[in-house]
Amino acid sequence: MSTVVKRVLLTLLLLQLSSLAVFAAIRLSGGDVTAARLPASATAEDRELFREQIGLNQPILTQYVDYLGKVVRGDLGNSLTNNAKISTLAVEKIRNSLILGGAAIVLVFGIGIPLGMLAAFRRNTWLDTSISSAAVAGMAIPNFWLALLVVWLFSSTLGWFPPAGAGGFKYLVLPALVLAAEGIALTVRMTRSAMLENVGQDFVRTLRAAGLSESRVYFKHVLRNSLLPIISLAGLRVGQIIGYALVVETIFGWPGVGQILVNGVLRRDYPIVQFFSLLLVIVVTLGNLAASVGYTLANPRLRK
Amino acid sequence: MTTPLLEVSDLSVGLRAGGVAYDIVRNVSLTVDQNEILAIVGESGCGKSLTALSILQLHASPPLQITGGSVVYGGSDLVRKTKKEMRGIRGSEIAMIFQDPMSALDPMFTIGSVLVSAVRAHQDVSKDVAEKIALEALADAGIEDPRRRFAEYPFQLSGGVSQRAMIALALVNSPKLIIADEPTTALDVTVQAQILDRLRALKNERGMSIMLITHNLGVVASVADRMAVMYAGEVVEMGAVSDVFAKPQHPYTTGLLGAVPRLGAGASDLVPIPGRVPQPDELPAGCTFADRCSRVVDSCRATRPDITVRGRVQVRCFNPVS
Repeated sequence: MSTVVKRVLLTLLLLQLSSLAVFAAIRLSGGDVTAARLPASATAEDRELFREQIGLNQPILTQYVDYLGKVVRGDLGNSLTNNAKISTLAVEKIRNSLILGGAAIVLVFGIGIPLGMLAAFRRNTWLDTSISSAAVAGMAIPNFWLALLVVWLFSSTLGWFPPAGAGGFKYLVLPALVLAAEGIALTVRMTRSAMLENVGQDFVRTLRAAGLSESRVYFKHVLRNSLLPIISLAGLRVGQIIGYALVVETIFGWPGVGQILVNGVLRRDYPIVQFFSLLLVIVVTLGNLAASVGYTLANPRLRK
Repeated sequence: MTTPLLEVSDLSVGLRAGGVAYDIVRNVSLTVDQNEILAIVGESGCGKSLTALSILQLHASPPLQITGGSVVYGGSDLVRKTKKEMRGIRGSEIAMIFQDPMSALDPMFTIGSVLVSAVRAHQDVSKDVAEKIALEALADAGIEDPRRRFAEYPFQLSGGVSQRAMIALALVNSPKLIIADEPTTALDVTVQAQILDRLRALKNERGMSIMLITHNLGVVASVADRMAVMYAGEVVEMGAVSDVFAKPQHPYTTGLLGAVPRLGAGASDLVPIPGRVPQPDELPAGCTFADRCSRVVDSCRATRPDITVRGRVQVRCFNPVS
């Protein structure tokens, strides 16, 4: 019980500190929203007046306290560039990002684990070599370059999928694949090495000696043991996907959290940046929490 | 003489990998009769475990493979069986118990679920029936609270209880032969005695046979009916335990018995065997024990002795202790 309380308190502290960090960083990074909001012909006085209206000329600490007070009361504020209510914007952006991120996570484990198992079963064959090499490439290729590559191949050349935008399933395929690529590669390698390590364990020989079929030994016992390290690092995978979503959503014009956050930073739209980056911190934290809960549930030593 | 339950003839097991080719187990012949305990004794690395594993074809293949000989069980040669046929024999006809029970049980599954899987690997029964068989096996293995242990994970068990769970796993399909590979080596002395008692009782209650692999001569003396002494991959002497202990004929067996500490004797009474065991890739042309032997004669270095009947035992020696 006390560990749970401790964990919740630490999480709240983390949120507090990261909100302060984001708040300060975006304000100290130079420039402000007047460049995006006011026409280029606006005079210095116009800009100063606008800053005063939205409270940007107050000391940072005052602004921060003001911001925290509003957040606590449930007022997330409005976008500085188009006045849209953030609470309204958030619903749509979060939904879109959940679709993309969810698809990527399904791909990471749905493709990564079976491919890793296949590579382990066919160890030191051409199949293993191909899968393992592809996994190394998947980790080495930066996702923005991979994005350009798949757009060139599957959109421009083959015309199978649209190059960008949001719509039906067709629009989801390329961004989800690019977003998942590195996670798939890491999962393949982890699954392969965990399977190979566990195949050599004494208990495998015991199960064989008891007459269990090879498929039962592999798919039930070896796999179950191999899933532990994968589950324990699932939180990292979630964090990774969130980080990459900023790049991938921007490249593919996917109207999600990543895209609005990147645009918000470029336009110095403070309320947008503050809310959406804090949201990402929350999701990463929850992802890690879910992974450690999952690990505990999957490991009899910790469960009992 | 009745036909033996298991007859291993001229079995050799070797390493074949990347230009390396040598045998680790060489021309091993031995029999296990109905309702007897045969002990295989020898130092670590003498090939006794590999002999046992290769009977069930559980040796790491590749790189290890059976390079000659036969293992006849129930009228057919196990060496020629397909993988599928071997799976049918493992656990149901011949079961095996391993050395370190802690690492030999899958940490992610309860004892019960593994037992039930093992039952259902051989018997077409419902889960409930399999569970009942598993609980009976746990009780037969000497576990006091079978129902509780059934639901527990290996990490919750002590070494002794783990080894009993391993025995239960070997018993669930009522095999005729259990191969026990150093079943007590990893356990406390008191627990060792209990496990050995249990094995001997099972042999008597169920009329089954046990091949007991050990390096402990005390264990051999207390439970085995017959024994085979292995040295550097070969059986050098085989016979009834009482005969071999009373009148060891191979110089290595004599040496082994001389190296056993006895109550009342001082440390200086322990006689070590000089030299070291030759590695399987550097075996001499003649007798493998020649370099360490006090009774060595010229023929020992020239040719490899065959195992021959001498009185009531079999010995692989040109100049045995008479």
